[in-house]
Amino acid sequence: MPGRAIEAIFYTRFHHEKGSRVLHQVPSGSITESKSPSALPEPLFKYSSITQYLIPTQQFCDRLLTFCVNHHRVIGYPVCIREGKYSRNEFIFNFAIVIGESEVDWACYGEVVRKLGRLLRGLEEQGGFLSREEVGVWEDDVKMGMGKDDEDHSAFGIGGGSKVYALCEMVLEDLNNYAECMIPIDDSNTINLKLFPTRPPPPPILAHQVPLLTISLSSLQTPVSSDLTLNRVLPYINGINSISRIAQLADTDLSLTRRAIQHLVYYGCLVLLDIFSFGAIYACTAEIGGFVVDDDIKDECAQYVRVPRLRIGSDARTIRLGSESSTSRDEQNSRSSSSASHYSDTANSTVRTSTDLDAPSKTDTDSDEWRIDHSTLIQLYTSLRQGLTLKNWVLDHLDLLSGIDVRRLVTFGIIKGFLYRVHKYAIATNLNTTLPPAPPTSLQTSAATSTANLRDSDVATIRNTQASMAHHAQQAPQHNAHAQHPSFSLHRPSVASTTSLNPQVTAKQDVPAFDSILPSEQERQNGLPLLKFLDGMHCFDEICTELQTPERVVEGKVRGIGGEGLGLVIQR
Amino acid sequence: MALPLPPASNLHSVLLVTKSRSLGPRLVFHYPPLSPSAAALSGAKDPSWFRHDTSTASAGSGSSNSDWESSTATDDDNDIEIGSRTSGGRGSGRTITGTSYRDRDRSKLGNDVWNKQETIDEDDPDDENGEGGSLDRRRGGDHDWDSVLGFKTDALEKMLTPSKDFNKRRFELGVEGIVFVGAPMFVREDGLWKKPKRRKKKRSDMEKLEDGDLVKNLTGTDEEDEEADSPEDKPVKPKQEPFVYPEGFEPGYGHGSLSSAPSGAPSEVGSDARSNSTSIDNNPDMTMFNVVFVLNPPALEYQQRVKEMYDNVTRKYAKALKFEEARFQYVWKESKRIIDIKQRAKENNESLTSTWRKIIATSPLAKSIAVMFDTISNDQIAHIHFDASFNTSFQIPQADSTPYLPNALEPQMPGLWLTTSNVVLDEDESPMTQHAALLLLEDTETLIKDLGGDSGVNAAAIAFYIRNIIPTKSLLKISKRHDISANDMEYIASHLVYWRRARLIAPLSPRDTYIVSPNADFSSLPAAIPAYAQRFPTLPTLPKMLSMLSGTPRPFRNFIPTTEHRDAYMDILAWLMRGGWVTQLRTFAWMRVTPEIKAQVAAEMAREERIKKSDEARRELLSDNESITESLLSDKRSSLLSAGTVRSSTPLRLGRRDRSAEAQDNEEMHHSTTLSPRVTGSTASGYRGSPVRASSDAGSTSSQRTTIALGSSQRPESPSRLAIRDVKPHRPSPLHLQPTSPSRGSVVSPTSPAAPSPPLPSPKDFKHSVVYSPQKATSLEARWLEKIGQTFEDGSTAIDPSPPKNNEGIVFGVTGKDLRENWPTLLKHLDGRHAIEDVATREGMKRKRVATLFNAVKDRGWLVVVRHW
Repeated sequence: MPGRAIEAIFYTRFHHEKGSRVLHQVPSGSITESKSPSALPEPLFKYSSITQYLIPTQQFCDRLLTFCVNHHRVIGYPVCIREGKYSRNEFIFNFAIVIGESEVDWACYGEVVRKLGRLLRGLEEQGGFLSREEVGVWEDDVKMGMGKDDEDHSAFGIGGGSKVYALCEMVLEDLNNYAECMIPIDDSNTINLKLFPTRPPPPPILAHQVPLLTISLSSLQTPVSSDLTLNRVLPYINGINSISRIAQLADTDLSLTRRAIQHLVYYGCLVLLDIFSFGAIYACTAEIGGFVVDDDIKDECAQYVRVPRLRIGSDARTIRLGSESSTSRDEQNSRSSSSASHYSDTANSTVRTSTDLDAPSKTDTDSDEWRIDHSTLIQLYTSLRQGLTLKNWVLDHLDLLSGIDVRRLVTFGIIKGFLYRVHKYAIATNLNTTLPPAPPTSLQTSAATSTANLRDSDVATIRNTQASMAHHAQQAPQHNAHAQHPSFSLHRPSVASTTSLNPQVTAKQDVPAFDSILPSEQERQNGLPLLKFLDGMHCFDEICTELQTPERVVEGKVRGIGGEGLGLVIQR
Repeated sequence: MALPLPPASNLHSVLLVTKSRSLGPRLVFHYPPLSPSAAALSGAKDPSWFRHDTSTASAGSGSSNSDWESSTATDDDNDIEIGSRTSGGRGSGRTITGTSYRDRDRSKLGNDVWNKQETIDEDDPDDENGEGGSLDRRRGGDHDWDSVLGFKTDALEKMLTPSKDFNKRRFELGVEGIVFVGAPMFVREDGLWKKPKRRKKKRSDMEKLEDGDLVKNLTGTDEEDEEADSPEDKPVKPKQEPFVYPEGFEPGYGHGSLSSAPSGAPSEVGSDARSNSTSIDNNPDMTMFNVVFVLNPPALEYQQRVKEMYDNVTRKYAKALKFEEARFQYVWKESKRIIDIKQRAKENNESLTSTWRKIIATSPLAKSIAVMFDTISNDQIAHIHFDASFNTSFQIPQADSTPYLPNALEPQMPGLWLTTSNVVLDEDESPMTQHAALLLLEDTETLIKDLGGDSGVNAAAIAFYIRNIIPTKSLLKISKRHDISANDMEYIASHLVYWRRARLIAPLSPRDTYIVSPNADFSSLPAAIPAYAQRFPTLPTLPKMLSMLSGTPRPFRNFIPTTEHRDAYMDILAWLMRGGWVTQLRTFAWMRVTPEIKAQVAAEMAREERIKKSDEARRELLSDNESITESLLSDKRSSLLSAGTVRSSTPLRLGRRDRSAEAQDNEEMHHSTTLSPRVTGSTASGYRGSPVRASSDAGSTSSQRTTIALGSSQRPESPSRLAIRDVKPHRPSPLHLQPTSPSRGSVVSPTSPAAPSPPLPSPKDFKHSVVYSPQKATSLEARWLEKIGQTFEDGSTAIDPSPPKNNEGIVFGVTGKDLRENWPTLLKHLDGRHAIEDVATREGMKRKRVATLFNAVKDRGWLVVVRHW
C-alpha cells in the first residue's frame, strides 16, 4: 500500500432544515474552512460544488459514489435510513474518504468506504450511534444564529467527546500507517478494516504448464491453506513437473489441481513455465539487452545456475564435465526430457555430503574457479536461437557449460523474460477448413479418457517408482506407461463416438487423403484425438500432455497426415 | 507500463445532458436506447465489485475465460465462479476483442431487454430489425421512458449536471463499478459560447495529425485557425477546401491566405453581432451541456481507460460540439428537436427503439452520438458528420507494436506486431521516419476510396501518393523517385499511421531475416487462409509459408525459388507483416574485450606511468602528497597493476566479488533450497523495461502487472532501469578522436609510486568482458576499444589475439585499413540497442558494405551477437 494515500476523511449529514453539513473532518479544514489552529490553510476543494454527490437523491444512496474534483478523488457511500423516529422520516449521512485523483489502485479504498458505510448504518439502526451525538449540535447551531459554518464545527469537531470524530481520526491514521485498523465501538461491535490491494485475475491454467514457486511456502509455520488439494500438490511443485504430472504424483483431480495452482498464481506465489526438454528450442527476446547490461542480474543468474561447488580437489571439474557430457549423451539416446537436470540434482546431493566432510580451507581460490563468468553467461544466452534445439546447443557449448545447470540456466531466462520457448504448433491445412474444430462427443470422451489415462498411468507410476521413476522427467513416465500398457488404447474414444464422427468427416472430405492418414482401426483411434489440436492454437507440449504421447510420435503423426504435407509444423 | 493493454473501450452508453433555463437539467439523448442496468454493468452486484471477495456468481459477467472453459470439459460449475471472478482486471484481455467480450457479457447476463441494440442501424433504419428483436423488445424496457441504465431519468439528470466549477474540467462520477465520464461545457457569463476575441494559433503538427482530414492538411495553404475558443481550448477545425465559412467564422485579420476575407475588426464585430442575434438577447436558453460516456473499466485498468476515453474522445467531442454550438446553436437546436420527438412518442406510447430510429434519422446530433457509440465501443474510428461543413474523426489510439512478448501470466495481445524497431532509443537521435517504409494495412484502392471521399485535385494527388507507396522502399526513396516533397510524404505517413491505416516498418528486403512471430494470432488462421489463398492463388499456402519461415532463421531470399518469384514473394511478405504473422529478426551486438587486449592495455598504461613517474621524479622530489595520491589510487583503476589485486577489471566487478565472497557461505546453504531465482517485484517489472522502452508510455496508470508480486505494494515504474545507466561513471568516449590521441586515457592515472617494477600483466590475469555502450565507455574501456581498433591495421597477420572459438582470419575483401576507417562509425552501433540492419540507412552507407564490415569484425571474435525482433 502506498503510504498515507488518504488525504482526508469527513462525515457529512443532511439536515432537513439546514441542508448538508460537514460535521466532522480530519484533518480539520480539509473540506470546509476551519478556524482551528491546526487546520489546513485551504480546503482541498470547494465543498459546495460536490454536495449533490455527497448527499444525492434516494436513487443513488446506498451505493458507492466516487467523483473527482480539483485533482482529488472523493469516495463516499451515502446512506439513507428511513425510519419514523427521524424528522422527515429520513436520516442521511455519508462517510467519505479523499485520496489523490490519480491513485492507481483506489478500488480497495472503495471497499473500505463501503464497509464503513454499512457498519455505521447498522450501528445507527441498532442504537442510534450517529444520531445520539447530534442531540446538542443542531440546536447549538440554532443558538449560534444559523452561523454559517466555522463556529459550530470547531465547537464540536474538536470537542473530544465525539465518538464519530474519534472514529474518523483513527481510520485515517491507521489506514495510512498500517493499511488496516480495528476499532472497538462498544461491547458488541468492532470495526475491522483492511486495505486489500487489487490483484489482476489469474490467467487460465493449462495442464501442460509448469509451476514454479517464487516464495518458500514450506517454510511457513502453519499450513498454507486448508485446501486439501493445495496441500497435497505443494510438495510436487518444483519447476520441473507439469501440472498434469503434479496431479498424477499427488493423486489429485486435474481440474482441482489447476484451480489450486490458479490460487497461487493469483497471490503471486507462482510463475508458470513450460515443460523443459532438451528437444525444445529457446531464443532470446528483446529484453536480452537488459540482461547483458545489468551486472546485478548476471550475478543473480550466476548464483542461480551454478552447480554447487565441489571442494574435493582439482578433479572436481573433470567429474562435473563428465557428468554433463554424459547427460547430454544420455539425452540424445532417450530424448527423455530434463533428465539431465535430475541428474545434476542427484549429483548435487552426493556432492553436498562430500562438502560437509571437506575442510573449508581452500575456499577462496576454489570459489574463484567456480564462479561463472559474466561473459560466459552472455555468450551462452546469446547463442540460443530459433531453429536450434537445446540438445544441439549443449553439444556446441560443452566447454562453457561446466558447472552450469542447463535447466536452471534456461529457466532463469524464461522467468526474467529474456528468453522464450519456441513452441511447436501443428496445422492440418485442409482438414481444419472442413472439419469442425472439435465435435462435442469426441471432446467429452477424450476428456473422460484423459482422466482415465491419468489414473491409468498413475498406477504405472506407482509401479515404476522403485525402478527409475525419480530421475525421469514428467513426460518420461507417461511414455513408459504408454509402452507398458497395451491396454492403453482401450481408453481411447469408444468406437461409438468415432463412428459417429467419421461420417461427418468423410462426407465433407473430398480429399482422399483422409483414409491414408489412418490405415488401421487402431491407428485411427489414436489419430483422431489429435485432429482437434491441429488448428495452430495448441502447442506440442499441450498435445503431448493431453494425449499422453511422446512428442516424437505426435510430430510423426502430424507430418504423416495425408502424406502430402497436409500436416505442418510451425514453430513460433 | 511495459505491456500495452489490449484495446477495450469498455464503453456502454453515451448520454447527452443539457441544462437550460426553460427546462432545467434534461437528459436529451442516450444511446443505445436500451441500455443495461448499471448494476448489471458493474458485474455481479455488491460484494464482488472487484471480484475477489465472496463472489456472487449469479450475474457474473463471466468472460475472458474461453480457454479455460473449452479446455476442461470435466470442470464443474465451480469453474464458473472463478470465471466471474476472473473477469475483472484483465477482462478485456486474452483473445477476445472488446466487442465479442461485451457480446458475451450480454448473452451471459441473459437480459433480453437490452441485448438487441446491435440491430439498430442508424444508417438505414428501415431495413432489418424486424422479426427477432421486436418481440423481446415489446415486453419490457422498450416502453420504459423513465429510466436509463437502471436509474430514474430525473435523478440521473441531476447527477450529470454539475456546477459550473466543473467547466471544461473532467467530470468523472463513479457509481459502483461504472463510471460516467464527461466534459461539461458551460455558456460564458456574457451568454456566448466562445471567447469574443479571436486569437490566432498555429496548429501543432500533432493537432494537425489528429485532425481526421487528410485532404485538408495537405493543401498547400498553411491554414491557421479560423477560430479558437481559448488558447488551450481548441476544437477541431472545419474543412478548408470546399468550405463555406459559417457566419462569424470568416478568416480573421492577418490571415492573408484568403484574400476575400474582410479585414479583422469588422468581421469580428459582425460575427459577434450575428451570433448574438440568433441567441435570445445575450441570454441563451441552454446554459450547459455535458456529453457523458458510461464505462465499466476493470479496477486495475480504471485510470488508464478513463483517461484514454476522456482525452481522446470525450473532451474532443465536447469541444467540437461547443464549436458547433457557438456557430449556430447546434446543440440546443438539435436537443430541442430530439426532446420534441421523444415527447410526442412518449405520449403516443411508442416503443423506444422505433422512436430512436426516427430520432437518429432526423437529427445529425443524435446520429453522431450513435455513430460514436457504435464505433468507439468496438474500438474503431468514429467518423462524425456534424453538418454539411464540418466533420471529423475520433479514436482511442492503439499500440501498433510492442517489444515485449507477454508471458503466460500477462495480458495477451495476439496479433500485435512484435518489434523493437519502433522503439525510440534516444531523444536526440534523428527519427527514422524518412528511412522507414510504409506498410499499408489496407488495400491501396480501398484506402484511396476511403480517404479521398470528396473529389478534387487533392484527392487525385493523394491517390497518386498512396499508389506509389510500397513497403520495400523507404519513404525517402519513394519521394525522390516520384518527386514528392519529403515533408508531404512524411505527413501522409504519420497521418496514415495515426489513423491506423499503415505502419512504419524497416523496408522489407529479401536479404533480411523474418521469423514467424511468437505473438502471431493463430486463432485468426482459419479466416486468414482463404483470404491469403484468394490473394496468392498459385503460391504456397499460408500454413506452408509460415512453416517454411518457422525453421532455422534464414534470409528471406532463400525462400524465393526463382528471380521471377521475387515480387510475388515480397508481396507475400508484406501481407504476412501486415497481419502480424511474421516479424523481422534483427541483429544486435556488443563489443567483447579479450584478456589479451586488456593485458596489452595494462602493460601500456604501466609503461606510460613509469615514464611519467620518472619525469615527475626528475622534476620534483617526492613530496608529502604521496599519501594522498596513494589513497586516490585505490579508487582509480590503475591499482590493477599492483601485484595482489590483478583479478578485478572494473570497479563493478570488485564490488561484486567482495560482496559475494562474504555471502559465500550463505549462498551455499541457499542453493539447494532456492527453487527459483529471486523474483522481487521491482526486478520483475523494472528489469523488464531495462534497455529499450517504448517512449510512448503515455499511460503511467498501468494496471499493475502484479503477476509476480512479492513486493507488490511498492511498484515504481522502473526503479532498476534508471539505476542501470547510472551505475557506471560515464565519460565521453575518446573514440571520436580516434587513435591519434591516446593521451586521454592515460591522464587518469597519476603516479604509482608503490610499484617499482610491476610484473608485466599477462592475459590470464584478465577475463573476457563486454563493453555495454561504446558511446559511454569508461576511459579504460575506451582504451580497450582503441586497442582493438588498432589490431585491424595489420589485417589478418600479426597478433590477432585468438578469438575464442571462431574460425579465424577469414575476411572477405575487407582490408584492415578499410575496417579501421569505418571502425568509429560501426562502433557507435555496437551497444545492443541499435540494430545492425539499421546502420546502413543511419550512416548512409551501402548495405552490403556494412554487412561485410560487420562480418569482418565478427569473424575476428570481437562481438557478442544476438538476434531478436
